[in-house]
Amino acid sequence: MSRPVFGTAEEGARPARLDRDRGLVEAARRDPAHFDALYRKYLAQVYSFAFYELRDHHAAEDATERVFMQALTGLPRFEERADSFVGTGGTAAEIPADASTFRVWLFRIARNVVANERRSDRRRPVAPLEHACDLAAADDIFESAAAREAGSAAWHAVARLPEDRRRAVVLRFVDEMSTAEIAEVLGRSEGAVRVLLHRALRSVAADLRGRLS
Amino acid sequence: MLGGASRDARRTERYLDGLMEAEERGAAEAPMDLDLDPAVLFAARELRAGLIRVHPSFRFEEGLAARLGQIGGGTQDGRGEQPAPVRAPASVAPFRTPGVAAPATPAVPAGHSAARDGLATPAAPRRLSLAARPSRPLVVGGVGVASAAISIGAVYVAWRWSRASQTPMVRAVRAARSGRAYASGHGRRAGVLHGILGVMS
Repeated sequence: MSRPVFGTAEEGARPARLDRDRGLVEAARRDPAHFDALYRKYLAQVYSFAFYELRDHHAAEDATERVFMQALTGLPRFEERADSFVGTGGTAAEIPADASTFRVWLFRIARNVVANERRSDRRRPVAPLEHACDLAAADDIFESAAAREAGSAAWHAVARLPEDRRRAVVLRFVDEMSTAEIAEVLGRSEGAVRVLLHRALRSVAADLRGRLS
Repeated sequence: MLGGASRDARRTERYLDGLMEAEERGAAEAPMDLDLDPAVLFAARELRAGLIRVHPSFRFEEGLAARLGQIGGGTQDGRGEQPAPVRAPASVAPFRTPGVAAPATPAVPAGHSAARDGLATPAAPRRLSLAARPSRPLVVGGVGVASAAISIGAVYVAWRWSRASQTPMVRAVRAARSGRAYASGHGRRAGVLHGILGVMS
């Protein structure tokens, strides 16, 4: 049973925002068969994170599978913490409306699983980035080509970033996490994440400009 | 007091928040921040357009959902129990002889037979399908073909050597090359090769 979540007196006795997944988490705790709703909700996000990190569909599938298996078996140990975002430097007012501590918890698992995967598969060659860029819809051939080109350039630029910056960028742009959530996932302060993202964008800009010129 | 880098980073964060909110609202125009470094604006837009969320295959999604459902059922029955590892330890894949059904693989969920799925994309079914294949064609089939070819070759060579040449010139050349009397050498070789042929047949 998760503990009640209410704001502290310093926050004006305003109740903190509840985990938006609270209902789903509680249902899954009562009956693990209901974990399916959480799984469907976050499958693409977790898979994308793994895919952008590992750059291989099969490796991403393996990692995704492990993440959800661990999440399901570890769900009884999951503890909702509404103050987790405040603890990283944010205030209650800055907690994003769509914040979810379950999502943060899930991505922490994903981060560990991906790190283990990368460690164990150092010798395995990664798939060429071009394969990973084959994502655009084929409705409009010109739009598709342009999207593919843009995606390819972005991919290459992101792939060249240092690991911590790349993770922050993927969590921000692909998984649409707030700075507070990224900080929780990466175990960094919000200020550090802001700087990571800012520097990552400058690096990407320099990279893309270099390509264009 | 914020330093220059922190101030710029905060400004970047606000811009990114606005960019994503504008997209959620379906607004055509992204928010502008004239004080923000144009390079950062450019990179943010490029990444927003280029970094796409990727969805796994439907087969993988459904396969994993079925496995989670199985484990969920097991977890509910016995709280705190660890599920059976998905990556099954290596095991000997039995040969499937014609007319004999392959043994059921316990980890495959109902309705997800590897044979029906063919080369299943899901992670565990992919591994399971390899284990459940009847005869590991790459390894076992390769050895079989190679040994058959060697046998046929041996039979052909034996037949050629045991068969006396029809022309006297060829017989003379063979005798001269071996430096031995034709009759005795031919007889010994023929005896050995006939033995081989007998074994082969």
